[in-house]
Parts: sequence; C-alpha cells; structure tokens
Amino acid sequence: MNAGTNNQVPSFVVLQVGTRRIALPREGVAELIASPLIYTFPHTTPLIAGVVLRRGRILPVLDLGPGVSGALSPSTRFFLVVERHISNAIEKCAIPVQGACELVSGIMVPAADLDGYVTGHLDLNGEQIEVLDLEKAIAFSASSGNEWIPATEALP
Amino acid sequence: MTQPAHSSVIPRDARPREQVVLFSIGEYSFVISASSVQEIRGTDSLGGIVVDLDRPVLSKVRHIVERDARSYYVVSGYEHFHLPLSRPTSVLILRDVPVAVLVDRIEEMAEMRILLGMPRSFRGEELIWYRGLTVLERKVLPVAEPRGFLTAGELQRLEDENPGLLQNAGHPVGTSRHERESV
Repeated sequence: MNAGTNNQVPSFVVLQVGTRRIALPREGVAELIASPLIYTFPHTTPLIAGVVLRRGRILPVLDLGPGVSGALSPSTRFFLVVERHISNAIEKCAIPVQGACELVSGIMVPAADLDGYVTGHLDLNGEQIEVLDLEKAIAFSASSGNEWIPATEALP
Repeated sequence: MTQPAHSSVIPRDARPREQVVLFSIGEYSFVISASSVQEIRGTDSLGGIVVDLDRPVLSKVRHIVERDARSYYVVSGYEHFHLPLSRPTSVLILRDVPVAVLVDRIEEMAEMRILLGMPRSFRGEELIWYRGLTVLERKVLPVAEPRGFLTAGELQRLEDENPGLLQNAGHPVGTSRHERESV
C-alpha cells in the first residue's frame, strides 16, 4: 500500500473486489492483512464468508462480491480490515480482496444519486473508480437477492 | 461456566477453563460444554424407546426417545444447522433440556480457555445456536448453546402440536412407539 503525501486532500483505499475496482475512504480502513486460513461454520447472516484470526481477535469476513461485482469473491488470502459502526460500537471486519490495494489521494466527485451505495467517483489516470459507502454497500448486497453465501460455498 | 468476552482474548493467566466436547457434523466442527451433556451414545447403541411424532412441526425433530424414565426430543444436527444431509453416528443427550442431538462424530474432549462473543456483524440464527466462538489449536470453532437446539418457542410448538407426548413418552396412546436399536 502506498502512503499518501498530502494531508489536505482526502485519501482513499482502492481495492479489487471480484472483477471490479472500488474505493473506500481511508478513515474506515485499518490495514491490509494476509491470512492463510479462513474459518467457516454454519450461520445465516448474509455476506459473511467466515472469520479470520488476527492478533488474537476474530474478524468476520464480509464478502462484498455478490453486491458489488455480482458474484462471490474468488479465493484469496488477502483481506482489507475495515471498521464498521454497529450498535454504537466499532467492529473490525475483513473484506477479501484480489490483487494489490492502493492508497491514493484525490478529490471525489460526488455521485448524483446519493441514495445509492456509491457516494462519488475518483479519477485515477483516466480510470473512474467508484467510492463506496461501506454500510450502504453491505445493506445493498444483503438485500440484492443473491447475498446468501451457503457455508459450503464460502471461501475455503 | 466461561463468560463470553467480546472478540478479544482474555489475558492468559486469567482465562477460565471449561471442559468441552468436540463434535462434527458434515465438514464442520463444533464444541459444546461437557457439563451440558448428560450422555454420549452411538446411534446403534442408544437403546430406549423411540416414539415417532404424530405432528412433526419442525423438520429437524421427528422422534422422541425415552431413556431412564426421561424423554428427549431427537434433533437432527445437520437440519438444525441447515447443512447437507449427513450420516449421524452419535447422539449427544443433553442435561438440562429435553434434547438429544444427532451428530456425525465425536472428535475429542478438550479444555476451552477462551470464549469470545459472536462478532456484532453476525445477525442470523447463529446468535441462537452459539454461545460464542472459541479457539482450539489455532482453529476457530463455534460453541454450541444447549438451549439453542430447541428454543422455548420451538418446544412450545412441539408441545402444542403433540400435547403431553414428551411427558407420556413411556406411556403413549395412539402414537407410533417401538423399541429401537438406532435412531
């Protein structure tokens, strides 16, 4: 991950979920980790593909693939650790990512439709990267109808 | 009983300890507190009297088994956890609830030193099924909640549809009752 250089310009983490590149505001991202194992067990919560162990903590693995790229994310050992605000508490979760993540600075152009999970766009050398509102993306993915990740199909 | 922490590990010296039974259903492993298990039997050697439910309102419960003057609803483990069909070979007869759980295998007894609350991201039936998560030999395993196999509401439904059956399992009237070597 490349360090940002300008504190005045907002920073974003660009990641690849499935076949799609997206960005998240830097503030909500804790770290990028490599975890050799994802542990799965039966559950019925949409999007959760399992859990990983990180420094003695158990982090749920949230696969944004079904909502963001239309398919479960391919198997990976890299996870972006993000912070969710749930019930007035912060919980770290791991998002499986493919390829390298980048830390970039840039001015986001706000989206025209603020009701969606895309809050704006970044222009990265001509490539338009959508910036997501993580909680809205999770809610959208969970309600998109293909959010169910059977335990038997979850990431290994 | 080990008190759940919330997703952070208790300092090593302060960790309470709890004996657990490690069991598996399909490809998944679980633990359950040994103190909540009355008996572990093979399905072939369970013995007792098996009564078929006239009205199996829950797909995971089709029988009652009576053993030693007590009766238990027999809960299919794989159906409880919404898993593919499996081959149960063992029965966990629970202590404080009228439940006997069919599981595929008993793996081992172990000592649980940490019990972490379910992460808040989990919002489904697992909050009923599990007391939390533990780590044994660097594997994360769910800790089964004994009262989660049949909730109070499910027990009530079973009782409502099969009134008096659990209490009268040894003396049923108009129900299919048979000595059985396997469940």
